[in-house]
Amino acid sequence: MNLKNYMKDKLIFIILFLFTYSILFLLFCAFKIPNSLIIAVTFLLFSLLFSVILIDYFRKKSFYQLLLSTIEKLDKAYFVIEMLEEPSFYEGKMIYQALYDINKSMCEMIRQLENQTEDFKEYIEIWIHEVKLPIASLVLMAHNHPDKFDKNSKEQIRRIEDYVEQVLYYVRQEFAEKDYLINAVSLKKVVSNVALRNKNEFLERNIDLIVENVDYSVYTDSKWLEFILNQIIGNSMKYKDKKNAYIKINTIEEKNKYILEIIDNGMGISKEDLPRVFNKSFTGNNGRRCAKSTGMGLYIVKRLCDKLGHKVTIESRKGEYTKVSIIFFKNKYYDVLC
Amino acid sequence: MKKILIVEDDEIIAQELQSLLNNAGYVATIFSHFENALEEILKEKVDLILLDINIPHINGEFLLQEFRKQSSIPIIMVTSRNSEADELLSMSFGADDYITKPYNPNILLLRIAAILKRVDSNSQNLVYRDIDILIQKGILRRGNEEIILTKNEMIIFCYLVTHQNRIVTRDELMTDLWSNNEYINDNALTVNISRLRSKLKEIGYEDAITTRKKMGYILS
Repeated sequence: MNLKNYMKDKLIFIILFLFTYSILFLLFCAFKIPNSLIIAVTFLLFSLLFSVILIDYFRKKSFYQLLLSTIEKLDKAYFVIEMLEEPSFYEGKMIYQALYDINKSMCEMIRQLENQTEDFKEYIEIWIHEVKLPIASLVLMAHNHPDKFDKNSKEQIRRIEDYVEQVLYYVRQEFAEKDYLINAVSLKKVVSNVALRNKNEFLERNIDLIVENVDYSVYTDSKWLEFILNQIIGNSMKYKDKKNAYIKINTIEEKNKYILEIIDNGMGISKEDLPRVFNKSFTGNNGRRCAKSTGMGLYIVKRLCDKLGHKVTIESRKGEYTKVSIIFFKNKYYDVLC
Repeated sequence: MKKILIVEDDEIIAQELQSLLNNAGYVATIFSHFENALEEILKEKVDLILLDINIPHINGEFLLQEFRKQSSIPIIMVTSRNSEADELLSMSFGADDYITKPYNPNILLLRIAAILKRVDSNSQNLVYRDIDILIQKGILRRGNEEIILTKNEMIIFCYLVTHQNRIVTRDELMTDLWSNNEYINDNALTVNISRLRSKLKEIGYEDAITTRKKMGYILS
Protein backbone atom coordinates (compact mmCIF):
# COMPACT_ATOMS: atom_id res chain seq x y z
CA MET A 1 0.00 0.00 0.00
CA ASN A 2 1.57 3.27 -1.05
CA LEU A 3 0.39 6.83 -0.81
CA LYS A 4 0.32 7.46 -4.57
CA ASN A 5 -2.05 4.59 -5.24
CA TYR A 6 -4.11 5.51 -2.25
CA MET A 7 -4.49 9.06 -3.55
CA LYS A 8 -5.48 7.71 -6.96
CA ASP A 9 -8.14 5.69 -5.20
CA LYS A 10 -9.46 8.86 -3.55
CA LEU A 11 -9.31 10.84 -6.82
CA ILE A 12 -13.07 11.35 -7.13
CA PHE A 13 -13.16 12.67 -3.61
CA ILE A 14 -10.33 15.11 -4.36
CA ILE A 15 -11.92 16.24 -7.65
CA LEU A 16 -15.25 16.80 -5.89
CA PHE A 17 -13.42 18.83 -3.26
CA LEU A 18 -11.60 20.94 -5.86
CA PHE A 19 -14.88 21.45 -7.74
CA THR A 20 -16.68 22.57 -4.56
CA TYR A 21 -13.73 24.77 -3.63
CA SER A 22 -13.70 26.50 -7.03
CA ILE A 23 -17.45 27.26 -6.74
CA LEU A 24 -16.81 28.57 -3.26
CA PHE A 25 -13.89 30.67 -4.58
CA LEU A 26 -16.10 32.16 -7.32
CA LEU A 27 -18.81 32.88 -4.75
CA PHE A 28 -16.26 34.59 -2.50
CA CYS A 29 -15.12 36.76 -5.41
CA ALA A 30 -18.70 37.55 -6.45
CA PHE A 31 -19.56 38.68 -2.92
CA LYS A 32 -16.34 40.73 -2.73
CA ILE A 33 -15.09 38.93 0.33
CA PRO A 34 -11.76 40.38 1.53
CA ASN A 35 -8.65 38.58 0.22
CA SER A 36 -7.27 37.80 3.64
CA LEU A 37 -10.41 35.78 4.55
CA ILE A 38 -10.21 33.91 1.25
CA ILE A 39 -6.60 32.94 1.99
CA ALA A 40 -7.46 31.84 5.54
CA VAL A 41 -10.43 29.73 4.40
CA THR A 42 -8.39 28.23 1.56
CA PHE A 43 -5.59 27.32 3.94
CA LEU A 44 -8.06 25.79 6.42
CA LEU A 45 -9.89 23.76 3.79
CA PHE A 46 -6.74 22.37 2.18
CA SER A 47 -5.13 21.44 5.46
CA LEU A 48 -8.39 19.70 6.41
CA LEU A 49 -8.32 17.77 3.14
CA PHE A 50 -4.71 16.65 3.55
CA SER A 51 -5.02 15.76 7.18
CA VAL A 52 -8.16 13.64 6.51
CA ILE A 53 -6.39 11.82 3.70
CA LEU A 54 -3.17 11.30 5.65
CA ILE A 55 -4.80 10.20 8.90
CA ASP A 56 -6.99 7.74 7.02
CA TYR A 57 -4.02 6.53 4.99
CA PHE A 58 -1.84 5.77 7.98
CA ARG A 59 -4.61 4.06 9.95
CA LYS A 60 -5.35 1.72 7.10
CA LYS A 61 -1.77 1.31 6.06
CA SER A 62 -0.68 -0.33 9.30
CA PHE A 63 -3.46 -2.96 9.04
CA TYR A 64 -3.26 -3.74 5.31
CA GLN A 65 0.51 -3.70 5.25
CA LEU A 66 0.60 -6.28 8.03
CA LEU A 67 -2.09 -8.37 6.31
CA LEU A 68 -0.26 -8.45 2.98
CA SER A 69 3.20 -9.08 4.36
CA THR A 70 1.96 -11.83 6.68
CA ILE A 71 0.19 -13.58 3.80
CA GLU A 72 3.39 -13.42 1.81
CA LYS A 73 5.49 -14.83 4.64
CA LEU A 74 3.18 -17.63 5.70
CA ASP A 75 3.46 -20.86 3.77
CA LYS A 76 -0.15 -21.62 4.61
CA ALA A 77 -1.81 -18.29 3.87
CA TYR A 78 -5.10 -19.29 5.48
CA PHE A 79 -3.55 -18.97 8.93
CA VAL A 80 -3.27 -15.19 8.45
CA ILE A 81 -6.26 -14.43 10.67
CA GLU A 82 -4.42 -15.91 13.64
CA MET A 83 -1.59 -13.42 13.17
CA LEU A 84 -3.64 -10.20 13.01
CA GLU A 85 -5.24 -8.01 15.65
CA GLU A 86 -8.64 -6.57 14.99
CA PRO A 87 -8.14 -3.08 13.47
CA SER A 88 -9.74 0.07 14.90
CA PHE A 89 -11.43 1.43 11.76
CA TYR A 90 -14.84 0.33 10.53
CA GLU A 91 -13.85 -0.96 7.08
CA GLY A 92 -11.01 -2.97 8.61
CA LYS A 93 -13.34 -4.47 11.22
CA MET A 94 -15.61 -5.69 8.45
CA ILE A 95 -12.72 -7.23 6.54
CA TYR A 96 -11.40 -8.80 9.72
CA GLN A 97 -14.81 -10.30 10.47
CA ALA A 98 -15.19 -11.52 6.89
CA LEU A 99 -11.74 -13.14 6.98
CA TYR A 100 -12.61 -14.77 10.26
CA ASP A 101 -15.87 -16.21 8.91
CA ILE A 102 -14.28 -17.42 5.67
CA ASN A 103 -11.46 -19.04 7.59
CA LYS A 104 -13.85 -20.74 9.98
CA SER A 105 -16.00 -22.15 7.24
CA MET A 106 -12.94 -23.40 5.39
CA CYS A 107 -11.57 -25.05 8.52
CA GLU A 108 -14.89 -26.80 9.03
CA MET A 109 -14.82 -27.95 5.43
CA ILE A 110 -11.27 -29.26 5.75
CA ARG A 111 -12.10 -30.99 9.01
CA GLN A 112 -15.05 -32.67 7.36
CA LEU A 113 -12.93 -33.82 4.42
CA GLU A 114 -10.22 -35.03 6.77
CA ASN A 115 -12.75 -37.07 8.69
CA GLN A 116 -14.12 -38.49 5.48
CA THR A 117 -10.64 -39.40 4.27
CA GLU A 118 -9.78 -40.93 7.62
CA ASP A 119 -13.00 -42.96 7.63
CA PHE A 120 -12.34 -44.07 4.08
CA LYS A 121 -8.79 -45.07 4.90
CA GLU A 122 -9.91 -46.98 7.97
CA TYR A 123 -12.59 -48.75 5.99
CA ILE A 124 -10.12 -49.71 3.27
CA GLU A 125 -7.68 -51.06 5.86
CA ILE A 126 -10.40 -53.11 7.54
CA TRP A 127 -11.65 -54.28 4.20
CA ILE A 128 -8.16 -55.38 3.20
CA HIS A 129 -7.75 -57.35 6.42
CA GLU A 130 -11.10 -58.98 5.79
CA VAL A 131 -10.48 -59.83 2.18
CA LYS A 132 -7.21 -61.44 3.22
CA LEU A 133 -9.15 -64.11 5.12
CA PRO A 134 -10.82 -65.64 2.06
CA ILE A 135 -7.52 -65.31 0.19
CA ALA A 136 -5.75 -67.13 3.04
CA SER A 137 -8.41 -69.85 2.90
CA LEU A 138 -7.94 -70.19 -0.85
CA VAL A 139 -4.16 -70.45 -0.49
CA LEU A 140 -4.54 -73.19 2.10
CA MET A 141 -7.20 -75.02 0.07
CA ALA A 142 -5.04 -74.89 -3.03
CA HIS A 143 -2.20 -76.39 -1.04
CA ASN A 144 -4.30 -79.09 0.65
CA HIS A 145 -6.26 -80.12 -2.43
CA PRO A 146 -3.87 -79.96 -5.36
CA ASP A 147 -6.33 -82.07 -7.35
CA LYS A 148 -8.94 -79.29 -7.31
CA PHE A 149 -6.61 -76.35 -7.89
CA ASP A 150 -4.14 -76.39 -10.74
CA LYS A 151 -1.07 -74.19 -11.07
CA ASN A 152 -2.99 -71.52 -12.93
CA SER A 153 -5.49 -70.98 -10.17
CA LYS A 154 -2.65 -70.69 -7.66
CA GLU A 155 -1.10 -68.06 -9.87
CA GLN A 156 -4.41 -66.18 -10.04
CA ILE A 157 -4.74 -66.27 -6.25
CA ARG A 158 -1.28 -64.80 -6.00
CA ARG A 159 -2.21 -62.00 -8.37
CA ILE A 160 -5.26 -61.13 -6.27
CA GLU A 161 -3.00 -61.07 -3.23
CA ASP A 162 -0.56 -58.69 -4.93
CA TYR A 163 -3.25 -56.31 -6.11
CA VAL A 164 -4.85 -56.22 -2.68
CA GLU A 165 -1.51 -55.36 -1.17
CA GLN A 166 -1.00 -52.61 -3.71
CA VAL A 167 -4.22 -50.95 -2.52
CA LEU A 168 -3.08 -51.19 1.09
CA TYR A 169 0.20 -49.44 0.37
CA TYR A 170 -1.47 -46.87 -1.86
CA VAL A 171 -3.70 -45.94 1.06
CA ARG A 172 -0.72 -45.93 3.40
CA GLN A 173 1.46 -43.64 1.33
CA GLU A 174 -1.37 -41.33 0.35
CA PHE A 175 -3.07 -40.76 3.66
CA ALA A 176 -0.96 -41.98 6.53
CA GLU A 177 1.39 -39.53 8.12
CA LYS A 178 3.19 -42.02 10.34
CA ASP A 179 2.35 -45.55 9.45
CA TYR A 180 5.89 -46.78 9.34
CA LEU A 181 8.60 -47.63 11.80
CA ILE A 182 12.25 -47.07 11.01
CA ASN A 183 14.53 -49.79 12.29
CA ALA A 184 17.81 -51.46 11.47
CA VAL A 185 16.72 -53.99 8.86
CA SER A 186 18.77 -56.78 7.31
CA LEU A 187 18.70 -56.48 3.52
CA LYS A 188 19.39 -60.18 3.30
CA LYS A 189 16.22 -60.96 5.22
CA VAL A 190 14.08 -58.62 3.14
CA VAL A 191 15.46 -60.01 -0.12
CA SER A 192 14.89 -63.53 1.14
CA ASN A 193 11.26 -62.82 2.06
CA VAL A 194 10.56 -61.26 -1.31
CA ALA A 195 12.35 -64.09 -3.14
CA LEU A 196 10.34 -66.72 -1.29
CA ARG A 197 7.14 -64.91 -2.08
CA ASN A 198 7.91 -64.94 -5.77
CA LYS A 199 9.62 -68.33 -5.83
CA ASN A 200 6.98 -70.11 -7.89
CA GLU A 201 6.89 -67.42 -10.51
CA PHE A 202 10.68 -67.40 -10.80
CA LEU A 203 10.72 -71.16 -11.27
CA GLU A 204 7.74 -71.38 -13.60
CA ARG A 205 8.84 -68.54 -15.83
CA ASN A 206 12.40 -69.84 -15.81
CA ILE A 207 14.03 -66.70 -14.47
CA ASP A 208 17.26 -67.09 -12.54
CA LEU A 209 17.61 -65.11 -9.35
CA ILE A 210 21.14 -64.02 -8.53
CA VAL A 211 21.68 -62.45 -5.14
CA GLU A 212 25.04 -61.00 -4.23
CA ASN A 213 26.37 -58.83 -1.41
CA VAL A 214 23.23 -58.32 0.59
CA ASP A 215 24.78 -58.77 4.03
CA TYR A 216 24.08 -55.20 5.06
CA SER A 217 21.74 -53.59 7.48
CA VAL A 218 19.94 -50.36 6.58
CA TYR A 219 17.50 -48.09 8.38
CA THR A 220 14.03 -48.52 6.92
CA ASP A 221 10.62 -50.09 7.54
CA SER A 222 11.03 -53.73 6.61
CA LYS A 223 7.42 -54.23 5.51
CA TRP A 224 7.48 -51.19 3.29
CA LEU A 225 10.80 -52.19 1.79
CA GLU A 226 9.47 -55.68 1.10
CA PHE A 227 6.55 -54.17 -0.75
CA ILE A 228 8.87 -51.87 -2.73
CA LEU A 229 11.17 -54.72 -3.70
CA ASN A 230 8.21 -56.94 -4.55
CA GLN A 231 6.84 -54.33 -6.97
CA ILE A 232 10.21 -53.87 -8.67
CA ILE A 233 10.85 -57.59 -9.01
CA GLY A 234 7.25 -58.06 -10.15
CA ASN A 235 7.89 -55.60 -12.98
CA SER A 236 11.14 -57.32 -13.92
CA MET A 237 9.33 -60.64 -14.17
CA LYS A 238 6.43 -59.15 -16.10
CA TYR A 239 8.70 -57.63 -18.73
CA LYS A 240 10.91 -60.66 -19.26
CA ASP A 241 11.50 -61.32 -22.96
CA LYS A 242 14.57 -63.53 -23.25
CA LYS A 243 15.16 -67.22 -22.77
CA ASN A 244 18.06 -66.92 -20.36
CA ALA A 245 16.32 -64.30 -18.25
CA TYR A 246 17.79 -63.31 -14.92
CA ILE A 247 17.19 -60.83 -12.12
CA LYS A 248 20.21 -59.79 -10.16
CA ILE A 249 20.10 -58.16 -6.75
CA ASN A 250 23.26 -56.56 -5.51
CA THR A 251 24.33 -53.98 -2.93
CA ILE A 252 27.09 -51.44 -3.32
CA GLU A 253 28.46 -49.73 -0.24
CA GLU A 254 29.70 -46.19 -0.64
CA LYS A 255 31.04 -43.69 1.84
CA ASN A 256 27.71 -42.28 2.91
CA LYS A 257 25.18 -44.62 1.35
CA TYR A 258 24.18 -48.14 0.41
CA ILE A 259 22.82 -48.73 -3.08
CA LEU A 260 20.55 -51.72 -3.58
CA GLU A 261 20.41 -52.56 -7.28
CA ILE A 262 17.83 -54.72 -9.00
CA ILE A 263 18.99 -55.49 -12.52
CA ASP A 264 17.15 -57.53 -15.12
CA ASN A 265 17.88 -58.38 -18.75
CA GLY A 266 14.29 -57.88 -19.85
CA MET A 267 12.80 -55.78 -22.59
CA GLY A 268 13.96 -52.47 -21.11
CA ILE A 269 12.25 -49.10 -21.25
CA SER A 270 12.43 -46.68 -24.16
CA LYS A 271 14.13 -43.31 -23.72
CA GLU A 272 10.90 -41.33 -24.05
CA ASP A 273 9.16 -43.38 -21.37
CA LEU A 274 12.00 -43.52 -18.88
CA PRO A 275 11.57 -40.11 -17.19
CA ARG A 276 7.89 -40.73 -16.64
CA VAL A 277 7.81 -44.25 -15.16
CA PHE A 278 7.34 -42.95 -11.62
CA ASN A 279 4.32 -40.85 -12.62
CA LYS A 280 0.89 -41.84 -11.42
CA SER A 281 -1.05 -44.00 -13.90
CA PHE A 282 1.76 -43.93 -16.44
CA THR A 283 1.81 -47.19 -18.41
CA GLY A 284 4.13 -46.46 -21.33
CA ASN A 285 4.82 -48.66 -24.32
CA ASN A 286 5.61 -51.82 -22.40
CA GLY A 287 2.57 -51.46 -20.18
CA ARG A 288 0.26 -51.10 -23.14
CA ARG A 289 1.84 -54.02 -24.93
CA CYS A 290 1.53 -56.34 -21.94
CA ALA A 291 -1.88 -54.93 -21.02
CA LYS A 292 -1.48 -55.88 -17.39
CA SER A 293 -0.12 -52.60 -16.15
CA THR A 294 -2.03 -50.26 -13.87
CA GLY A 295 0.74 -47.67 -13.83
CA MET A 296 0.49 -47.51 -10.06
CA GLY A 297 3.29 -49.83 -8.92
CA LEU A 298 6.31 -47.61 -9.47
CA TYR A 299 4.35 -44.49 -8.47
CA ILE A 300 3.66 -46.04 -5.07
CA VAL A 301 7.28 -47.22 -4.86
CA LYS A 302 8.51 -43.67 -5.42
CA ARG A 303 6.11 -42.21 -2.87
CA LEU A 304 7.04 -44.80 -0.23
CA CYS A 305 10.76 -44.19 -0.85
CA ASP A 306 10.22 -40.44 -0.48
CA LYS A 307 8.48 -40.95 2.85
CA LEU A 308 11.19 -43.27 4.12
CA GLY A 309 13.91 -40.90 2.95
CA HIS A 310 15.37 -43.28 0.35
CA LYS A 311 16.13 -42.30 -3.19
CA VAL A 312 15.00 -44.43 -6.09
CA THR A 313 16.41 -44.17 -9.60
CA ILE A 314 15.93 -46.11 -12.80
CA GLU A 315 18.22 -46.70 -15.73
CA SER A 316 17.52 -48.75 -18.82
CA ARG A 317 18.36 -49.53 -22.40
CA LYS A 318 15.61 -50.74 -24.71
CA GLY A 319 15.91 -54.43 -25.41
CA GLU A 320 18.85 -54.89 -23.05
CA TYR A 321 18.37 -54.22 -19.39
CA THR A 322 16.63 -52.27 -16.64
CA LYS A 323 18.32 -51.29 -13.42
CA VAL A 324 16.43 -49.89 -10.45
CA SER A 325 18.54 -48.54 -7.58
CA ILE A 326 17.31 -47.80 -4.11
CA ILE A 327 19.68 -45.58 -2.20
CA PHE A 328 19.79 -45.72 1.58
CA PHE A 329 21.74 -42.89 3.12
CA LYS A 330 23.87 -43.69 6.12
CA ASN A 331 22.90 -41.47 8.95
CA LYS A 332 24.75 -40.92 12.16
CA TYR A 333 21.54 -39.80 13.80
CA TYR A 334 20.17 -43.33 13.66
CA ASP A 335 23.40 -44.83 14.91
CA VAL A 336 23.03 -42.82 18.07
CA LEU A 337 19.31 -43.44 18.31
CA CYS A 338 19.13 -47.18 17.82
CA MET B 1 3.96 -86.46 17.56
CA LYS B 2 3.96 -82.73 18.27
CA LYS B 3 0.65 -81.17 19.21
CA ILE B 4 -0.38 -77.81 17.80
CA LEU B 5 -3.35 -75.70 18.89
CA ILE B 6 -5.05 -73.49 16.31
CA VAL B 7 -6.67 -70.39 17.80
CA GLU B 8 -8.52 -68.93 14.83
CA ASP B 9 -12.14 -67.85 14.54
CA ASP B 10 -12.49 -68.19 10.77
CA GLU B 11 -13.78 -71.75 10.53
CA ILE B 12 -12.64 -72.51 7.02
CA ILE B 13 -9.12 -71.28 7.64
CA ALA B 14 -9.00 -73.23 10.90
CA GLN B 15 -10.09 -76.43 9.16
CA GLU B 16 -7.71 -76.04 6.26
CA LEU B 17 -4.92 -75.23 8.67
CA GLN B 18 -5.76 -78.36 10.63
CA SER B 19 -5.57 -80.59 7.59
CA LEU B 20 -2.35 -78.89 6.48
CA LEU B 21 -0.75 -79.58 9.86
CA ASN B 22 -2.13 -83.12 10.10
CA ASN B 23 -0.76 -83.93 6.65
CA ALA B 24 2.60 -82.61 7.76
CA GLY B 25 2.67 -85.05 10.64
CA TYR B 26 1.47 -82.92 13.53
CA VAL B 27 -1.60 -83.39 15.68
CA ALA B 28 -3.60 -80.21 15.28
CA THR B 29 -6.64 -79.25 17.33
CA ILE B 30 -8.96 -76.33 16.71
CA PHE B 31 -9.66 -74.14 19.70
CA SER B 32 -13.25 -73.03 20.12
CA HIS B 33 -13.86 -71.72 23.67
CA PHE B 34 -13.35 -68.06 22.98
CA GLU B 35 -15.39 -66.84 25.99
CA ASN B 36 -12.83 -68.07 28.44
CA ALA B 37 -9.88 -68.09 26.14
CA LEU B 38 -7.00 -67.64 28.57
CA GLU B 39 -8.04 -70.35 31.07
CA GLU B 40 -9.00 -72.78 28.33
CA ILE B 41 -5.75 -72.33 26.40
CA LEU B 42 -3.72 -72.79 29.58
CA LYS B 43 -5.49 -76.13 30.11
CA GLU B 44 -4.43 -77.45 26.72
CA LYS B 45 -1.27 -79.51 26.75
CA VAL B 46 0.34 -78.64 23.42
CA ASP B 47 3.78 -77.99 21.97
CA LEU B 48 2.94 -74.91 19.96
CA ILE B 49 0.08 -72.44 19.51
CA LEU B 50 -0.96 -70.62 16.35
CA LEU B 51 -2.72 -67.50 17.58
CA ASP B 52 -4.78 -65.04 15.54
CA ILE B 53 -4.92 -61.42 16.73
CA ASN B 54 -8.54 -60.85 15.75
CA ILE B 55 -10.46 -63.37 17.80
CA PRO B 56 -13.84 -62.88 19.46
CA HIS B 57 -14.17 -61.50 23.04
CA ILE B 58 -10.49 -60.82 23.58
CA ASN B 59 -7.66 -59.10 21.77
CA GLY B 60 -5.01 -61.57 20.67
CA GLU B 61 -2.14 -59.34 21.75
CA PHE B 62 -3.59 -58.98 25.23
CA LEU B 63 -4.20 -62.72 25.38
CA LEU B 64 -0.60 -63.32 24.38
CA GLN B 65 0.68 -60.97 27.07
CA GLU B 66 -1.41 -62.63 29.79
CA PHE B 67 -0.56 -66.10 28.56
CA ARG B 68 3.18 -65.38 28.66
CA LYS B 69 2.95 -64.60 32.37
CA GLN B 70 1.97 -68.19 33.04
CA SER B 71 3.36 -70.34 30.27
CA SER B 72 6.32 -70.54 27.93
CA ILE B 73 4.75 -72.67 25.21
CA PRO B 74 5.92 -71.30 21.84
CA ILE B 75 3.40 -69.08 20.08
CA ILE B 76 3.29 -68.03 16.46
CA MET B 77 1.07 -65.03 15.79
CA VAL B 78 -0.86 -65.51 12.58
CA THR B 79 -2.64 -62.40 11.45
CA SER B 80 -3.77 -60.31 8.55
CA ARG B 81 -2.31 -57.15 10.07
CA ASN B 82 1.01 -56.56 8.49
CA SER B 83 2.55 -53.37 9.77
CA GLU B 84 5.99 -53.29 11.33
CA ALA B 85 4.49 -51.83 14.52
CA ASP B 86 2.05 -54.74 14.93
CA GLU B 87 4.87 -57.21 14.50
CA LEU B 88 7.17 -55.50 16.98
CA LEU B 89 4.37 -55.28 19.52
CA SER B 90 3.62 -58.99 19.27
CA MET B 91 7.27 -59.94 19.48
CA SER B 92 7.72 -57.73 22.53
CA PHE B 93 4.75 -59.45 24.18
CA GLY B 94 6.59 -62.73 23.82
CA ALA B 95 5.54 -64.23 20.49
CA ASP B 96 8.11 -66.58 19.00
CA ASP B 97 7.28 -65.69 15.43
CA TYR B 98 4.87 -63.55 13.45
CA ILE B 99 3.35 -64.58 10.13
CA THR B 100 0.93 -62.54 8.05
CA LYS B 101 -2.04 -63.91 6.19
CA PRO B 102 -2.20 -65.01 3.49
CA TYR B 103 0.88 -67.07 4.13
CA ASN B 104 2.60 -69.63 1.99
CA PRO B 105 1.76 -73.03 3.59
CA ASN B 106 5.26 -74.41 3.08
CA ILE B 107 6.80 -71.39 4.73
CA LEU B 108 4.42 -71.70 7.66
CA LEU B 109 5.48 -75.33 8.09
CA LEU B 110 9.15 -74.36 7.92
CA ARG B 111 8.71 -71.72 10.60
CA ILE B 112 6.83 -74.16 12.83
CA ALA B 113 9.55 -76.75 12.37
CA ALA B 114 12.24 -74.16 13.11
CA ILE B 115 10.61 -73.14 16.37
CA LEU B 116 9.99 -76.69 17.53
CA LYS B 117 13.59 -77.49 16.69
CA ARG B 118 14.78 -74.47 18.67
CA VAL B 119 12.74 -75.63 21.67
CA ASP B 120 14.39 -79.03 21.83
CA SER B 121 17.70 -77.78 20.54
CA ASN B 122 19.53 -79.71 23.18
CA SER B 123 18.54 -82.85 21.33
CA GLN B 124 21.36 -84.86 19.81
CA ASN B 125 22.93 -84.30 16.42
CA LEU B 126 20.97 -85.24 13.35
CA VAL B 127 21.51 -88.91 12.46
CA TYR B 128 20.44 -91.01 9.50
CA ARG B 129 20.68 -94.75 10.25
CA ASP B 130 24.37 -95.05 11.15
CA ILE B 131 25.44 -91.83 9.45
CA ASP B 132 26.33 -88.86 11.63
CA ILE B 133 25.41 -85.58 10.03
CA LEU B 134 27.83 -82.77 10.91
CA ILE B 135 25.88 -79.82 9.55
CA GLN B 136 28.36 -77.08 10.45
CA LYS B 137 31.26 -78.93 8.81
CA GLY B 138 29.17 -80.11 5.85
CA ILE B 139 30.24 -83.68 6.44
CA LEU B 140 28.51 -87.08 6.55
CA ARG B 141 30.41 -89.63 8.61
CA ARG B 142 29.85 -93.39 8.61
CA GLY B 143 32.34 -95.19 10.79
CA ASN B 144 35.64 -93.79 9.57
CA GLU B 145 34.39 -92.91 6.12
CA GLU B 146 33.63 -89.27 5.45
CA ILE B 147 32.04 -87.48 2.52
CA ILE B 148 31.75 -83.76 1.98
CA LEU B 149 28.44 -82.22 0.96
CA THR B 150 27.93 -78.79 -0.57
CA LYS B 151 25.67 -76.36 1.27
CA ASN B 152 22.74 -77.10 -1.03
CA GLU B 153 23.16 -80.86 -0.76
CA MET B 154 23.30 -80.53 3.02
CA ILE B 155 20.09 -78.50 3.14
CA ILE B 156 18.32 -81.06 0.97
CA PHE B 157 19.64 -84.03 2.95
CA CYS B 158 18.69 -82.51 6.32
CA TYR B 159 15.20 -81.79 5.09
CA LEU B 160 14.81 -85.36 3.86
CA VAL B 161 16.14 -86.76 7.13
CA THR B 162 13.79 -84.69 9.27
CA HIS B 163 10.91 -85.84 7.06
CA GLN B 164 12.02 -89.42 6.71
CA ASN B 165 9.61 -92.02 5.32
CA ARG B 166 7.17 -89.57 3.86
CA ILE B 167 6.91 -88.01 0.44
CA VAL B 168 8.75 -84.73 0.23
CA THR B 169 7.69 -82.57 -2.73
CA ARG B 170 10.14 -80.64 -4.87
CA ASP B 171 8.30 -77.50 -3.82
CA GLU B 172 9.05 -78.20 -0.15
CA LEU B 173 12.73 -78.67 -0.93
CA MET B 174 12.74 -75.51 -3.03
CA THR B 175 11.07 -73.52 -0.24
CA ASP B 176 13.64 -74.75 2.25
CA LEU B 177 16.55 -73.92 -0.07
CA TRP B 178 15.19 -70.48 -0.93
CA SER B 179 14.54 -69.66 2.69
CA ASN B 180 18.22 -70.47 3.30
CA ASN B 181 19.13 -67.87 0.66
CA GLU B 182 20.03 -70.46 -1.97
CA TYR B 183 18.04 -69.26 -4.96
CA ILE B 184 18.53 -72.19 -7.29
CA ASN B 185 16.37 -73.21 -10.26
CA ASP B 186 14.67 -76.48 -11.15
CA ASN B 187 17.60 -77.91 -13.09
CA ALA B 188 19.99 -77.15 -10.28
CA LEU B 189 17.74 -78.98 -7.83
CA THR B 190 17.70 -82.06 -10.05
CA VAL B 191 21.48 -81.91 -10.35
CA ASN B 192 21.90 -81.49 -6.60
CA ILE B 193 19.69 -84.47 -5.85
CA SER B 194 21.49 -86.73 -8.29
CA ARG B 195 24.86 -85.64 -6.84
CA LEU B 196 23.54 -86.29 -3.35
CA ARG B 197 22.44 -89.75 -4.49
CA SER B 198 25.81 -90.62 -5.90
CA LYS B 199 27.54 -89.35 -2.74
CA LEU B 200 25.27 -91.52 -0.62
CA LYS B 201 26.11 -94.40 -2.90
CA GLU B 202 29.79 -93.88 -2.07
CA ILE B 203 29.12 -94.69 1.54
CA GLY B 204 26.82 -97.56 0.79
CA TYR B 205 23.29 -96.15 0.69
CA GLU B 206 22.56 -96.46 -2.97
CA ASP B 207 18.77 -96.57 -2.78
CA ALA B 208 18.22 -94.30 0.17
CA ILE B 209 16.37 -91.70 -1.90
CA THR B 210 13.62 -92.94 -4.17
CA THR B 211 11.71 -90.87 -6.67
CA ARG B 212 7.91 -90.89 -6.76
CA LYS B 213 6.79 -89.73 -10.15
CA LYS B 214 4.98 -86.37 -10.07
CA MET B 215 4.99 -86.48 -6.26
CA GLY B 216 8.50 -86.01 -4.98
CA TYR B 217 11.12 -87.99 -3.11
CA ILE B 218 11.20 -90.36 -0.16
CA LEU B 219 14.15 -91.05 2.07
CA SER B 220 13.70 -94.46 3.60
